[in-house]
Amino acid sequence: MEENNTIWIEKYRPVRLGDIVGQDEIVERLMSYVRMKTLPHLLFTGTAGVGKTTAAVALAREIFGDSWQMNFRELNASDERGIDVVRNQIKQFARTTPLGEATFKILFLDEADALTPDAQAALRRTMESYAQTCRFILSCNYSSKIIDPIQSRCAIYRFRPLLPEAIAEEIRRIARREDLTVGPDALDAITYIAQGDMRKAINALQGAAILSRRIDGSMVYAITSTARPEEIEELLNLALSGDFDGAEALLSRLMHERGIAPNELINQCYRALLRRDMDRKLKVRLIDHLGEADFRLSEGADSDIQMEALLARFVLSVERGA
Amino acid sequence: MDWGEKYRPMHLQDIVGNTTVIRQMAAWAKDWTRQSRPLLLYGKPGIGKTSSAYALARDMGWEAIELNASDQRTAAVIERVAGAGSTTASLTGASRKLIILDEADNLQGTADRGGARAILECIKESRQPMILIANDLYGIPPEIRARCDPLQFRAITAHSIVPRLKSICASEQIACEDTAIRQIADSAEGDMRSAVNMLFASSVGREHLGDSQVQTARKDERISIFTLISALAVRKGDEDLLRLSRELDDTPETIEQWIEGNLTLIVPPENIRGAYRHLSRADEYLGYTYRRQYHTLWRYATALMLLGVADESGGRGIHARIMPPARWQKMAGAKRQKAIRSSVLARVAGMMHIPSATLHREYLSTITLLVESDPAGFAGELMLDADQLNFFLSDRSKSQSVIQRVTKAAKEREKEKEAFEKKEKAEKARVRRAAESPQKKDNLPDINEIALTKEAPDTDPSEKKPPAKSQSTLFDGF
Repeated sequence: MEENNTIWIEKYRPVRLGDIVGQDEIVERLMSYVRMKTLPHLLFTGTAGVGKTTAAVALAREIFGDSWQMNFRELNASDERGIDVVRNQIKQFARTTPLGEATFKILFLDEADALTPDAQAALRRTMESYAQTCRFILSCNYSSKIIDPIQSRCAIYRFRPLLPEAIAEEIRRIARREDLTVGPDALDAITYIAQGDMRKAINALQGAAILSRRIDGSMVYAITSTARPEEIEELLNLALSGDFDGAEALLSRLMHERGIAPNELINQCYRALLRRDMDRKLKVRLIDHLGEADFRLSEGADSDIQMEALLARFVLSVERGA
Repeated sequence: MDWGEKYRPMHLQDIVGNTTVIRQMAAWAKDWTRQSRPLLLYGKPGIGKTSSAYALARDMGWEAIELNASDQRTAAVIERVAGAGSTTASLTGASRKLIILDEADNLQGTADRGGARAILECIKESRQPMILIANDLYGIPPEIRARCDPLQFRAITAHSIVPRLKSICASEQIACEDTAIRQIADSAEGDMRSAVNMLFASSVGREHLGDSQVQTARKDERISIFTLISALAVRKGDEDLLRLSRELDDTPETIEQWIEGNLTLIVPPENIRGAYRHLSRADEYLGYTYRRQYHTLWRYATALMLLGVADESGGRGIHARIMPPARWQKMAGAKRQKAIRSSVLARVAGMMHIPSATLHREYLSTITLLVESDPAGFAGELMLDADQLNFFLSDRSKSQSVIQRVTKAAKEREKEKEAFEKKEKAEKARVRRAAESPQKKDNLPDINEIALTKEAPDTDPSEKKPPAKSQSTLFDGF
């Protein structure tokens, strides 16, 4: 009973380094740190859902074994980002002796790029002063937001967005364990929605599994409120061929009958446009129109009017370009 | 153990690079007297500033006391730790204590309230050698800077990093290919600590390190931004361009600046106008992104600047060297100028009791004329350094010579004053001893003598410190 209620993102979070998919080179290096029971300070960079936190936790489990929870501490810098965190919480943890057989502890600082530069400055000597008892793993989206003196103290590992194959591999594994049938079009749908983010992929799978044990593409698109890529293609085709009425009718179906959010439609149009083989000048102009509509929506403009105006601009751009 | 710490140089002679500076440090320590000014070591991260300070202490047989930004540095804390170190003799047998104030350019506003003043007091009162360390010389409050002798540490050449890495490989018994070592040394960009860390990260658990196994994630951005810039000028797919930009670890505005800096290489002259239109539109999206904190808009900025400029390039390729944006160099210079300007204005404004903006707008030309008529007098009065005086004079060599004269005169005055005070103090103590306890020995050690005078403040009104502190400061902090 309780099993069914757990969130799969947590349930299937890899426990061992070897189970992390799509980051083979990084995992290989981390495993040799485990073998040697030694660790430099690490800086993990990469977008969301690519395995940074998972890698840090798995690393701690394997290095410390049973005593891992006593010697590992996770802090999210975006919750508490001032200099006092470094001077109090972090130092407190770093200077106490490791427990059990461990020779050092690990402090995992998630979203370290949210730390103010002051706090980062305070962190730098702490990293060295307590290097005997504590190693730091920092994670961030952009290493350029981490001050140089800290980068200089860390080995930097860049986690890349996961390739569709890696995501499909993990999804198949989970489907087997959950006894689900996931068709090839469903796998395509999941990798399309995930965009390299494993969390999104697993979330979509769990959502679709609520509908049925046999999952096909349409369930995935439905549960995630996403249009099918073909529908987006059709929308673009209609608008770019100058058929405003046709495009408007399709848009209205997607938004009002299917309940797809305008932002999501813009997002999908953006991805489809990038991939589309067409005149580059026109493409740049269309992307600009998308951006403008996105911006206006974010400012609170009316979504029906803005989305229809967007289609109108598309039609006009093509007419002017020709 | 972390190799950064394990292979931290123990002695001055082990420090790689910066030989002249190291010699100057050794000479400073050898000839150190209470009149010596503190050293101020500054330069990029990872090039040996902190290591040199510790190595110096070890070579001299001095005890080292460090205070860095991870400690709270309010006036009280600095006085307790460094103050005790700086005014009392060491009890652990070491002849002297070296006070190392690391990250002196990182005194934080409220958390370190009064820290700058405390450092200043410390420098004035110190009876022990003191070294301040900073990345940015101009991050140090000017009144502190004026009391130190600055020594600049420079980046270490890849050529000098190589042998050090090789010797580490030898002690760790790792067979490392020369090309791999070279690759690490190059990508460290003069940062020795980063090089050692990269070597450590790449070679743990290996007996052999080839160049394909090198973990130089650190600074390959530079390599990729070049790749991205050249990709803009060849016929490359739209998605490939965006993928390259995503793999780069740079924010869109950095990419934007690189593109702008190299625009004349990417785009033929007749298309510059069109390229700027795209860049400027992209820039608007960046503005929206930050203003509204709506990060989805980033992608439009990236797409417009990449695809738009690529379109204008006509795919003719790049046939000259891609350079970092020229404005970065200008900005670095301008930043320094600005720091100097605002420090001078603040100083004069404080003295004249008017806001610095008003001063800048209305009184600056008058004051400039006044300073020109008596540079030495004003420099002494306002405690200006050569750069600051040059703000008024716009004559570098003249400013420097004026400042040299002023500091020399000030030093002599201070010496005279100290000699006079010492004499006076000794006189008073002698008189008092004679009056209070005629049987006491005459050759009391210096340190007790000071403590004694502090304990009796009413007999010595010139003494600033409250009496309660005198005896306890001798022992706390140990």
